[in-house]
Amino acid sequence: MKWMQFFTPAKSLDFNETEKFIANHPGDEITILDVRQLSEYKESHIPGANLIPLPQLSDRLGELDPQKPVLVY
Amino acid sequence: MLSGKGFQKVFNVSGGIKAWHAKTAIGPQDLGLDLFTGKEEPLDVLKVAYSLEQGLREFYLQMGKEAENPKIEDLFAKLSEIEVKHQMSIYIAYNDISTKEVSKDEFEKMVEIKALEGGLSTREYLELFGSDLDSETQVISLAMSIEAQALDLYQRLSLKVGNRQSRDIINKIAKEEKAHLASLGKLMDSL
Repeated sequence: MKWMQFFTPAKSLDFNETEKFIANHPGDEITILDVRQLSEYKESHIPGANLIPLPQLSDRLGELDPQKPVLVY
Repeated sequence: MLSGKGFQKVFNVSGGIKAWHAKTAIGPQDLGLDLFTGKEEPLDVLKVAYSLEQGLREFYLQMGKEAENPKIEDLFAKLSEIEVKHQMSIYIAYNDISTKEVSKDEFEKMVEIKALEGGLSTREYLELFGSDLDSETQVISLAMSIEAQALDLYQRLSLKVGNRQSRDIINKIAKEEKAHLASLGKLMDSL
């Protein structure tokens, strides 16, 4: 078991910081990751967000580029 | 989970979608992607993008005709003019990379309008946002929703398209949509 994955903290960005971060990076240089369920995503999501529901995330990490900054919500 | 799996920069959007006060997009992840096969050559991407701008322009013109308030009519006219500028930049980009230069008329004949910008039809937009727009704020809010939807579509599309040059074009269009969204936000703040 790789425990580090459970304890590595991620920095938090508030709304203004997130908006600025997205505005300053071209869409193909960052990943906006929505980990909610499909029904929630369909109702409303940050433009450009990729949907990978949390229960599927560990199996689908290969779909994401680890070199790009990831904004998760 | 991501940080421990080799992802170098992971940020938690604090408060999630509830804290997100800018425009959101709606629909499943494949919404509007049926307009593209994913195998488009760069020239094809530009044709589809042009058709989406054209669809939106016609939508704004129609909304302007139906408006009873002259201010609203003017605003829709302005929004439709912005789409003309977008279309012109797409047309210029087409001729930049095409081996055969085409006139604007010839280009427009190659374009088939299937949906509005953002991948939804006129009817779907009106069902979502209503057609009884009687204030400038409501109109700009509608335009911002459409631009957010367009930005969302192009960013999702860039993940689907295989051709590198096509992807670059899509990212460039997405960047323009982002700038357009920001300028509409400023316009809203100025009211």
